[in-house]
Amino acid sequence: MSYAVVGQRVRRVDAREKVSGRAVYAGDMNLPHMLVGRVLRSPYAHARILSIDTSKARSLPGVKAVISYEDTPKIPWNSAGFPPSPGAVLMEDQYILSDKARYMGDPIAAVAAVDEDTAERALELIEVEYEVLPPAMDVEAAMADGAPLIHSAEKNIAAHMPVVIGDVEEGFREADFVFEDRYYVPKVYQVTLEPCGVAVAAPDMDGRVTIWTSTQMPHLVRGITAHALGLRTGQVRIIKPPVGGAFGSRLGVVNEPIAALLALKSGYPVMLKYSREESFLGTESRHPITMVLKTGVKKDGTFTARQMTAYIDGGAYATHTPSFAGPVAGWFLAMYKCANIKVDNYSVYTNSTQCGAFRGYGNPQVVFGVESQVDDIAAALGLDPLEIRRKNHPCEGEVWSWSGWVIESCGLEEGIERGAKAIGWEAKRNRQAGQPGTKKRGVGMGYMMHVSGARPMLHETSAAVVKINEDGSANLIFSNSDVGQGSGTALTQVAAEELGLAYEDVMITKTADTDVAGFDIGSHASRQAYSGGNAVRKAAAAAKEKLLAMAAEILEVPAENLTVENGVVRTREGAPKSISVAEVSHKAHFGSHGHQIIGVASEEPEGNPPVYAAQFAEVEVDTETGVVEVLKIVAAHDVGTAINPALVEGQIQGALQQGIGYTLTEEYRYDPVSGRPLNPNLADYKILTAMDMPEVETILVEASCQTGPFGAKSVGESGLVGTAAAIANAVFDATGIRFKELPITPEKVLAALRAREK
Amino acid sequence: MKLPITLKVNGESYRLDAEVKRTLLDVLREDLALTGTKKGCGAGECGACTVLMDGKPVNSCLVLAVDASGREITTIEGVGGIEGLTPIQEALVDHGAIQCGYCTPGVVMTAKALLDSNPHPTEAEVREGLSGNLCRCTGYVKIVEAIMAVSRS
Ligand code: FES
Ligand code: FES
Repeated sequence: MSYAVVGQRVRRVDAREKVSGRAVYAGDMNLPHMLVGRVLRSPYAHARILSIDTSKARSLPGVKAVISYEDTPKIPWNSAGFPPSPGAVLMEDQYILSDKARYMGDPIAAVAAVDEDTAERALELIEVEYEVLPPAMDVEAAMADGAPLIHSAEKNIAAHMPVVIGDVEEGFREADFVFEDRYYVPKVYQVTLEPCGVAVAAPDMDGRVTIWTSTQMPHLVRGITAHALGLRTGQVRIIKPPVGGAFGSRLGVVNEPIAALLALKSGYPVMLKYSREESFLGTESRHPITMVLKTGVKKDGTFTARQMTAYIDGGAYATHTPSFAGPVAGWFLAMYKCANIKVDNYSVYTNSTQCGAFRGYGNPQVVFGVESQVDDIAAALGLDPLEIRRKNHPCEGEVWSWSGWVIESCGLEEGIERGAKAIGWEAKRNRQAGQPGTKKRGVGMGYMMHVSGARPMLHETSAAVVKINEDGSANLIFSNSDVGQGSGTALTQVAAEELGLAYEDVMITKTADTDVAGFDIGSHASRQAYSGGNAVRKAAAAAKEKLLAMAAEILEVPAENLTVENGVVRTREGAPKSISVAEVSHKAHFGSHGHQIIGVASEEPEGNPPVYAAQFAEVEVDTETGVVEVLKIVAAHDVGTAINPALVEGQIQGALQQGIGYTLTEEYRYDPVSGRPLNPNLADYKILTAMDMPEVETILVEASCQTGPFGAKSVGESGLVGTAAAIANAVFDATGIRFKELPITPEKVLAALRAREK
Repeated sequence: MKLPITLKVNGESYRLDAEVKRTLLDVLREDLALTGTKKGCGAGECGACTVLMDGKPVNSCLVLAVDASGREITTIEGVGGIEGLTPIQEALVDHGAIQCGYCTPGVVMTAKALLDSNPHPTEAEVREGLSGNLCRCTGYVKIVEAIMAVSRS
């Protein structure tokens, strides 16, 4: 199928404003009488607050508001951006400011003052008396007998989610071999270049508040913020300007309620902007997980039983975690077919900063474990690692256990074939023995499946309005939650394609404004192109239907005989007649009809077509220094129709930077005794620079689906899901050593090499 | 303590009184409303605040405003805007090298300094030149491609 606008590498709608520095992000704003907000954070990882005295801070000249737990509405809430849905387990254990410190950095009080210095001085004047409690910094410590209780949950276990399919014990009995391994993946941060946590809140005299915020979810953040403040939903207006990256970090409320409360208390606009350190200390990260995987397998590589027991470190507040346990189970269930599967997921509170969403939402964690073990199974059984995946993965026409729905399309096998060729799989594998010297090369692969939205676990509502203007251009009103991924551009392409207009003729709302656009879930679960795209296409189709009906009247031909291309309506057959969209629309506005042609849609998409990827890595391990160097990554991704291939490649390339970091360099660490974060800065938390990035080759496999707009599925998150497994498997190919813990640091490599020598 | 300074930014002179401790970055953003220069860390670790001082790229979060007095400062606002983008900016746009855009002004300034001093760098030189500019969105792939395209032209 070929299209006019879909599939083109058009320029982004926001590229020019960004490249010229003219784009105004939330943190760039300035309003008359705008105050500076600051947060007082707990210096202890776990402490009871015995008393708090804000009187000195309040009386400091220039201070306009001071708030603590005493000033916050006593309404518990949950910061995670979930629509009420079957898969959302919303445990409400948060307040705008806490009455107990549950991690080092927990917001205890906040001030708004005329300038930064005054705000800082006010923080120093707040007197807090703490009773320091022992912290529990990991799941073992938190679940141990006699561990301090962080909330009231027994053994600090917030939730337990079991899933049972068939009978795993029977499956293990049927197996020729049983493999059991324990994997650990650490806490890592999204590290958006614009530090997470920036909001400007402005009150009005009627109890309403407008918040400009760097968010992925304008409507859901509006709802949660209104709830936390005790306001009606419509009283809060969220405006999302350009956002400096998100990757899940802004998937829900970050600091909007604090900013709003300061604004409502002071009566002035308040800018609350977290520093880089605060964005580490006080915002949500990826979940660390300890996983035990047990797999029964026949000699020929057929799985007879698959079992996962996972301890998910959710940090100090529930937020996403009890819901997150669902997809974690889902990723595991869905990867490989097997009659007997069992999952036990435990969500555990610890005294680390609460965890939330980070690109992939549990999938990179699970895939690292599963794909490492499958590689070991293939090696032990003497099977081709590619073949064991081809044999066991669910494919088109089969039921996908993540959703329970039939898989619409599958491009995995093509991806494996093209990816293997690009990395040089046959020639480069198993070189271990033949490599003299201290530098050992190897290749490895990891496979993954991911979602396009989160149905049926979560609602995926989107709304769009398409207005055809009197000159034939069109406006697309959408709650545009583009946070850098380019969805605003892709949705514009979808609208233009459906309308038969040129890309340049369609203008999307560049920002999101909840007073203007209809309800949209936002950017999560790689949903914008698929869910948003379907709503946009439907609204455009509705507008087009009205346009053609009017053109039919004017041209005196049946509407069914008309089509619109590049701004001109033409007859499909018979006598050639035509009229421009501009002329029809002008007549609609100013002729005898007197109306604008507008199409509206608000809906959920029909499905949730999975996407697939096969990623391949070539590494070189230096046995003297322990350094793992990634030489090349090949990422073959089935994304369905690529609405804009340049954007799709950009998503995969950027995700790889994060995936390689996850594998080799990134880990947010705490002192286990005091609970003090050890590396809340970019000098000690290492993300890859331009010099560290290896050669990257992306391969797009376009297995179009039936329910997506023009066959599109998704791409946003999937680029990093299989990366750690591919690299770890390549390290195994190079050295014969299996690393079951991330990141694979030089220290760990050297220790493992030494242990083997003994 | 405040000192009177003259900042020469994008060809214009601004006289102001600056607290000694304030950084060039904060003065550019807050006093001159030149918000195209971004703050990603405030500690010299990310490059989002890169501006040119006498033609050399610096992290403006590490430069005190008083020390920038009298020097020629170029920010992203002085590079290319409504009247037309520079070839580096056009290349970044055309290659799809911009996602969230938060690193982009710093990248543009670094690339400008690099190409001003070395119009035809190799890919290794481009990567080395960019190594102080963190980007979390693009994997640097299309950024490097864009600058290499300018290098070749
Ligand atoms: S803000 Fe200056 S280097 Fe990060
Ligand atoms: S484009 Fe987002 S940090 Fe570079």
